[in-house]
Amino acid sequence: MKKNKYIFVLLLLISISVVCTCGTFFYVKFNNGSNASAASGGKEDEFVIMTSCNPVYIATLNVVGDTDGVTVSNLSQPTTGCLHDYTLTTEDMKNLSSADVLVVNGGGMEGYLDDVVEAYPELTIIDTFEYVEDRVELPEVEDHEHEADEHSQEKSAAQEPNDFHRTVEDEHEGHHHEENSHIWMDSELFAYQVQAISEGLCEADADHADIYKENSTEYIGVLSNYVDKSDLESLQGANVAVLHAAFVYTAGSLDANVVAVMDLDEERQVSAGEVSDFIETIKEKDVKLVFAEYDYGNAMGKLIMEQTDAKVVYLETLVHGSYGVDDYLTTMNENYARIANVVE
Amino acid sequence: MFSEMFSYAFMIRATIAIILISPLFGMVGTMIVQKRMAYFSDALGHSALTGIAAGVIMGIANTTISMIIFGICFALLLNYISRKGLSSSDTLISVFASCATALGLAILSKGGSFSNYSAILVGDILSITGSEIIQLIILFTVILVFWCFSINRLTAISIHSTLAKSRSISVRVMEDAFAVLIALLVMLSIKWVGILLINALLILPAASSRNISENFREYTYFSIIFSLFSGIVGLFVSYFTDMATGPMIVIIASVIYFATYVYGKDR
Repeated sequence: MKKNKYIFVLLLLISISVVCTCGTFFYVKFNNGSNASAASGGKEDEFVIMTSCNPVYIATLNVVGDTDGVTVSNLSQPTTGCLHDYTLTTEDMKNLSSADVLVVNGGGMEGYLDDVVEAYPELTIIDTFEYVEDRVELPEVEDHEHEADEHSQEKSAAQEPNDFHRTVEDEHEGHHHEENSHIWMDSELFAYQVQAISEGLCEADADHADIYKENSTEYIGVLSNYVDKSDLESLQGANVAVLHAAFVYTAGSLDANVVAVMDLDEERQVSAGEVSDFIETIKEKDVKLVFAEYDYGNAMGKLIMEQTDAKVVYLETLVHGSYGVDDYLTTMNENYARIANVVE
Repeated sequence: MFSEMFSYAFMIRATIAIILISPLFGMVGTMIVQKRMAYFSDALGHSALTGIAAGVIMGIANTTISMIIFGICFALLLNYISRKGLSSSDTLISVFASCATALGLAILSKGGSFSNYSAILVGDILSITGSEIIQLIILFTVILVFWCFSINRLTAISIHSTLAKSRSISVRVMEDAFAVLIALLVMLSIKWVGILLINALLILPAASSRNISENFREYTYFSIIFSLFSGIVGLFVSYFTDMATGPMIVIIASVIYFATYVYGKDR
């Protein structure tokens, strides 16, 4: 009896091992074909650049261009819901161990970054948010001390469009992180990100420095020429509210004044007080336009349209996309076109 | 295939972590199942959120410390109130667990910042670092030493606490010490296993082993073997299939449970 039991346990463990091995073998075999193009670090002499999310991936693709011997691939998979709580998969970890550079958005966007820094101390990390933050003053999401009139005074004193960032009146009760790191939503700040990537890559891969410089200058030029906000001049100084922190920058790029922010994502639970404060602010400040992301802001958007006179425009945050070189321009222009449709 | 896998530092670390944690789960799990404390360890796992929240409020940068302190206090308080016998222990644990979870969620979700901590629900063994492995080695040693010295006393208490008392075993101290031990194990491994699955790893190997064992020695050894086996196979399968490690380990442990259940039933 006892002997039988040991044989049973042995057979059980062996059969589980066999089933797992066969299952895994076939799974890997069938999946290899589709994943072959995504695999990085195939050739040992290649310079491998990993990026953390769609916006920096597009920026890096444009900086690198067709440079021979340089591969760019993105960590987050297209299906990723929210970047903040994305955890690295084994595939990501494998890719990172063969990567030379990791380009990140930064500013708390990549929650796993500390783990990566600790696990791969040799890996060069280009933090684009840090670069932009050193050059442009960005809004602090949890800052409640500034009053609206202080902002308007600062606003009138501001010379450059980028200075709008100081004027954001933020009623948001705390965010995932201290800073609002969705800087790519403003094409001027995105241009700084491109510059950050270019400078970082020039340092890490001096052999191709000239190509990176040339490509980044060209792309920054394209960004300033082809992002079309011409129909939206009427929004300058207008009060707007946003249902996603990313759109604070969209509003900023239009010189609009953000008077209320509610950052909605898949895990956000809003309190009744927050909703009523938000609606109250919209009414008080005569907000006519609310920017929201469809997936998470749809229900709240309907509520706002029902309770106030404001119109809700659903925009893309660029976190998901087709991962194409021109994705940034297309999406930004689509966003502006949607706003223009509603403004008219 | 395997040489490629171990060329990555993160896989070596994850394998070491699994080799360290899973026998502990197997070992401690036997006593949890024996003492019918499955619900207790589950409540402890859920209280991890409150531990983090307490750390955030008090400004403790390393939330593991606040989690451990909170876990120990929570475990001791539960034991204390259970002893008072005012209500059945499952009701008490449920009340405590729900209250702690709600408190943790309420604090952490303030202003929508819960997503910062949501990773702890599923856990991530691949991100384990060298210093955290040293923590696990210390935990491994502490639990092993405690086990060697106290297993007989714990077994006696689990069988009949009055009898154990008559043998001059301090039931209260032993129960509290064991609760602290579970708190330490749960809190130190929750980051790698995840709140949702930690109890499964504690209970499944021991429960599987109970299905087929005839004495306590067998019970412990089978539990450790099942736990270690599911841990290692789960890690390897998750590596090749690119799926989360914790769930994969639990799936394998569940298969073992069902097989042993069918075998044990027919005996």
